[in-house]
Amino acid sequence: MKFFQSLAATLIVATLAALPAHSQNGLKDIPDTAVSAQLEAFQLIEGAKVNLFANEPAVANPTHMNWDSRGRLWVVSSPLYPHIKPGQEEQDKVVILEDTNGDGVADKSIDFATNLHIPTAVLPGDGGAYIANSIEVLFLKDTDGDDVADERQVVLSGFGTEDTHHLLHTFKWGPEGMIWMNQSIYIHTHLETPYGIRRLLGGGMWHYRPETQRSDVFMKGLINPWGHAFDEWGQSFLTDGAGSQGINFVFPRSVFATSPGASRILKGLNPGQPKHCGAEFLTGRHLPDDLKGLIAAPDFRGSRINLFKLTDNGSAYTSSQVPDLISSKHRAFRPIDIKMGPDGAIYVADWYNPIIQHGEVDFRDSRRDQKHGRIWRITFDDQDTLPIEDLSQLDEKALAGKLNAPEALTRQLALTEMRNRDPKAVLPAVANLSVPDGVDPDLVALRKVWASQTLNQFDEKAAVALLDSKNHKARAAALRAIYYRAADNDEALAIASKAIADPHPQVRLWAVSVLAQLDVKETVTTAMKAIDGVELDEFLDFALWSICREHSDRWVADAQEKNPFSSTRQLLFAVRAINKPVAVDQILSALESGEISSDQEVTDIADWISKTGSPENLNNLFVHTLKENASPAHQKAILTTLASAGRIRKIQPTGDKNRLNQFLDSKNDVIFSEAATLAGLWKLESARPGLQSAFLAAAENQGRAEATLNGLISLGGPPTAKLFDSEAKSETSTFLIKSLAVRGRTRMNPAAGATLAVEVLQNAPDGKDPHGIYAAFLATKQGPGALAKALTNAKLPQPIALVGVQKASSAATKPEGLVKALQKAADLKPMKMALSDTEMESMMEAVAKSGDPHNGEKVYRRASMQCLVCHAIGGAGGVIGPDLVSIGSSAPVDYLIDSLLQPNMKIKEGYHTTLVTLKNGDSFAGAIAREDDNELVVRDATGKENRIPKADIASNNISPVSLMPPGLTAQLREDEFVDLVAFLAQLGKDGDFKTPPNRYVRQWQSLMPHERTRDAIGHYGHQIFTEDIKTYQWIPFFAKVTGGVPIPEMPKVVGRGRNRYGVARTFVDVSKAGPVRFKISGKLNDLILLHGENKIELPADVSEAEITLEVKKPGRQKITVSGLNGFGLDDVKVEVLDDAGTVQFIDIKEF
Amino acid sequence: MKPISLRITLWCLALSHAALAYGAEPILKSGDRVALVGNTVIERARLSGQLEAALQLAAGPEVKNISIRNLGWSGDSVFGDSRSYFGPPQEGRERLVSIVSEIKPQVIFLCYGTGAAMSVDQGWTDEPIHKEPSASGMEGSLATFSQGYQEKIDRLRSAAGGSLREIVLVSPPPLENLGEPLPDQTENNARLAIFRDRIKQLATDNQLSFVDWFAALGGDDFNGEVASPALTNNGLHYSKSGYQILGRELVKGLGYGETSTIANDETPELVASIIEKNRLFFHRWRPANETYLFLFRKHEQGQNAKEIPMFDPLIAEQEKNIEAARQKVFAGQPKN
Repeated sequence: MKFFQSLAATLIVATLAALPAHSQNGLKDIPDTAVSAQLEAFQLIEGAKVNLFANEPAVANPTHMNWDSRGRLWVVSSPLYPHIKPGQEEQDKVVILEDTNGDGVADKSIDFATNLHIPTAVLPGDGGAYIANSIEVLFLKDTDGDDVADERQVVLSGFGTEDTHHLLHTFKWGPEGMIWMNQSIYIHTHLETPYGIRRLLGGGMWHYRPETQRSDVFMKGLINPWGHAFDEWGQSFLTDGAGSQGINFVFPRSVFATSPGASRILKGLNPGQPKHCGAEFLTGRHLPDDLKGLIAAPDFRGSRINLFKLTDNGSAYTSSQVPDLISSKHRAFRPIDIKMGPDGAIYVADWYNPIIQHGEVDFRDSRRDQKHGRIWRITFDDQDTLPIEDLSQLDEKALAGKLNAPEALTRQLALTEMRNRDPKAVLPAVANLSVPDGVDPDLVALRKVWASQTLNQFDEKAAVALLDSKNHKARAAALRAIYYRAADNDEALAIASKAIADPHPQVRLWAVSVLAQLDVKETVTTAMKAIDGVELDEFLDFALWSICREHSDRWVADAQEKNPFSSTRQLLFAVRAINKPVAVDQILSALESGEISSDQEVTDIADWISKTGSPENLNNLFVHTLKENASPAHQKAILTTLASAGRIRKIQPTGDKNRLNQFLDSKNDVIFSEAATLAGLWKLESARPGLQSAFLAAAENQGRAEATLNGLISLGGPPTAKLFDSEAKSETSTFLIKSLAVRGRTRMNPAAGATLAVEVLQNAPDGKDPHGIYAAFLATKQGPGALAKALTNAKLPQPIALVGVQKASSAATKPEGLVKALQKAADLKPMKMALSDTEMESMMEAVAKSGDPHNGEKVYRRASMQCLVCHAIGGAGGVIGPDLVSIGSSAPVDYLIDSLLQPNMKIKEGYHTTLVTLKNGDSFAGAIAREDDNELVVRDATGKENRIPKADIASNNISPVSLMPPGLTAQLREDEFVDLVAFLAQLGKDGDFKTPPNRYVRQWQSLMPHERTRDAIGHYGHQIFTEDIKTYQWIPFFAKVTGGVPIPEMPKVVGRGRNRYGVARTFVDVSKAGPVRFKISGKLNDLILLHGENKIELPADVSEAEITLEVKKPGRQKITVSGLNGFGLDDVKVEVLDDAGTVQFIDIKEF
Repeated sequence: MKPISLRITLWCLALSHAALAYGAEPILKSGDRVALVGNTVIERARLSGQLEAALQLAAGPEVKNISIRNLGWSGDSVFGDSRSYFGPPQEGRERLVSIVSEIKPQVIFLCYGTGAAMSVDQGWTDEPIHKEPSASGMEGSLATFSQGYQEKIDRLRSAAGGSLREIVLVSPPPLENLGEPLPDQTENNARLAIFRDRIKQLATDNQLSFVDWFAALGGDDFNGEVASPALTNNGLHYSKSGYQILGRELVKGLGYGETSTIANDETPELVASIIEKNRLFFHRWRPANETYLFLFRKHEQGQNAKEIPMFDPLIAEQEKNIEAARQKVFAGQPKN
């Protein structure tokens, strides 16, 4: 309350002096619109310079651009965005820009069309241009030579418009001559085509061939994929304007985040990256060598363009970030599209707007810019630009020759131009194409195949010949070429059957994709051969999982009889993929005979049987755990899954349940906990004494005591009620036991629990609720009411009541009665959440004038603020809320203040709370993590995943409440609050709070104080921090925005005397043995670095050093850093110098 | 579709308004509100204005102020598959019911069946209990279609309320074979004929008017030949001249006899105001940004939902223009 009380007082004073223009909130932040102001604010990669190619009024708020084969740039602009006003004309336009004298500046501009409604893509070709016009794709054409469209045809319609920054967008000619198009989350599209209806509900990518009028969905998901680039071999990479996983490798039927109903999704290649709009491979002679082949992705929030380097990895790629191409301090610089130009320069479309989109900021906010727009051109000093060629003037031979141009744009434009020519003249010219020096002949052969497809005269023979290439990329590309029309191709099955056993996993991935297109019986039995002989990575695994499901009608009936696959392993993969009890006996006998015995496979079987098997099958598993020589890993896996079968499917193994009791004696905590849960689920009365004594021994082992709660509650009856009642009331019980007893009683009977709770809460040490009493009430429908009632005439100390108010205020059920009761019981004034316009005005002024972002970061990182638990910055932090990496450059300051004070006011897309209420009154709030036929998995605000049986669900609604609790900032002084806002407002802007592209290790775990360290460090040195001691507790610890790891902020691990250490460890995955390069910086004299158990010598008296670790065995490497506090130690940075092909970060969840 | 092209050439361009069959009650009356409901063939009709112009002119000079609302939606099924946003088809049906109960039309035209006929064996609805039956061969598909259509008729009838006079079932028009590389639609047309028969049966069972676009455009005589110039852009989507024929055959089927649909370049004002009215009405009933204005993100932009009804006076203004334009057409027309 501190802050709000003082804030109220300050604001009264401030109000008197406040500016009158309250409706102009923040307008003073509007950046200078002059071109020169933007030019001065750019920072470029070495050797680059930037010039203005075009600007308003020719382009205003450009949304997309593409080149035509004459070397002219087509730009589509939408000042109408975000929403048409009643009475407003549909006047958005497409302009053709031309640099006629080659000076790098557009000197001619023609309005090709001026009657569009929020157009979001333009693609010249076929003698006109294809334009995304909200609900429809238009083909506009000029027939009289004035470059103004005079013919208008709707070529596709039925695209959704539920959100205008998600409309159909990102048009691109593919190398095979199809038009590729993307749509985003919330968009529900229903196309009628001459081939039938095609629907895409949510994000995804389409391809469309104008001459056949065939449109199909290629992949699904991603939140806002406004970037698509083909690499030299025709593989597709997407970027996402709202996801945060950098570059996404996509392939047919791949499914990514937020695709509705998806039971499995793939991830991007750069988790924790800023969001991007646009994507382009940098190619061509004008560019410096070190940029060639990189993929550029504009970070429109951070006003910069990121670069990534892709490296082959299994069936997919790894991607690592390298230094930015360009960045700007100018807040209206919004790079939203990037294209290589016909002169070899890089062109950037700058949407130009201080406000980035329309979710959070009012449609009619006057700060929206609806006039300006810029096209920037980036060139390099060392090389001349290329002359712009008009490909439409070339004869067929010269045009074919352009297919070997070093510039990808020229190759693509040559293909587009070929579509305007007679195939009879073009194809012979293409056939005679020679192989330039230094170019893989198979790449040239592939270009010929693409030319044939571009003319819709697919040369299948040439594609098949490429399957014998030595280069796996050529083989994969050949399969992709075959893929599109595989259903009409009699050879396709034979082709895929051969390719499925290809030595390279990416070729197998495409073989599976081809199979998925076929209407023959053998698709899945053929595809499953892909699991043998290569490492099954996530992408190939996904493709196989997908075909097993999509084509289940082709193999399931056979599998009921006998295994139709070549091995039990393949069978297990397939039955798990469909998640149905098919061939259970075959699998179980393989388990019985020991044919299947690896921990992973046993876990897989247990998981599958628990989801699909019969009580007899569960008993088979149970018997497996009871064997004398059963491994604890198997026991653990099976008991866990028996518990979920009991909970989700309400089924139990046949046979004597008392066999379970032996596990209640287990020394293994996990096995005990699972057995305790099962005892309750199975109503095993004989287990009660064991559960009871573990409950009472909570002080020795809290985890076991927690685990007994479920069991004791399920066993229920007077004995359990009596136990909870007496422990909650007993004077000798610890607060932990009391809390657990209240929780237990509340779950049995909320009213009875509430009566107990009041006194326990009144005596809560430090006014805290560490063991979840409030949560127990909020987790059930009757709970809040019961607690409110019990509080009617009671008093609570303010701190514990405040905790309750915060928890209740962020509960999706909105228990207002409980909030009021808590406020009354502690005489709390309702928290002031909203600021008046004038208060907001002065707060924003304070942020601008006196806010200290460095101190703000410290506030942000305080454990009591809990920011880091939910929000990451550049991948460092929790995943419950949005990554804040560039929030400052995308959100206005008033938005940030509102969001801190009133989290429910604006909720980021994808972060809505779903409230699931069960028939028994229990409720779960959080984000839906995934679902299948039987269960729904909800991730709550603590990151915990709750598996909920669908059969038990009474209702499932999107709640208007944010998962972020209000009042988190109530503990702050006003100056601290101002600093926190100043910090958030700087995030992503040029300066100290923009995450650098360096590969700093950002996810760490820090060691909690432990009794062992004080004495053992003297004997064994720092190596004790690398020991695998079970009772060591490692908590998540994240790097600061700069990448620095502040050792003084870590828990203080006690050493000898007054020595206090900060200790952190991390894990990275190294792909091959040999030297791996790191850089470490900080006060190296006082730092200890360990690789595994080995201490690495650091040079003395320097502040940074490059070090090489010798990796003997590829795989996980543990790196530990420790430092003695009190000697001026501050931040330590550990940077990986090798790219992601060699060293990959491991997510903290996997540590 | 050869017969069509013949008919076009034989077609008299004279402007003559509806000549109703003797004794028949005209379907359109002054002040009528008319709802056009269906899939893409209806939805796209709003762009050329031809279909509405045909109705407006067929009604004749004495009938005034007909207000037509195009509620077509690409890919829609009888279950409302296209009309739901984030929910199941049920939500789509409710959306249609809600707009129909708002408009309270006197006449409703329904045109469904293309999607179902083209998706035999593949399934054409996500409606949970009908998903599988819709994929189980011609019989299953037809039965599911009839059931869904019957429910739709019943619900729309009650949604429209007491002012409703007529529901007209219109069969889907045939598909055209435009030759390689476009697909051959012969098989789909054979299926469409079967669906047409079922729709006709539904009309009889429910005592509704029925207009057979399929037969009128030559679907029954279809031998793979196509009108020249083609009536569709791709075999499926009708072009402006295609809609002219569809309009003409619609009013003929309604009993207006051999009337001219003329709603072409000779009536530019009428067509232009119809197109403009349709554009405005689209922003009114299917506004962009629904997620923010009315659905689960309305706490962010719901304040702007107030703008949406501001389209109403603009639409009313265009309706006046439509009426003025049609009266002008009638005024310039020689008396019979």
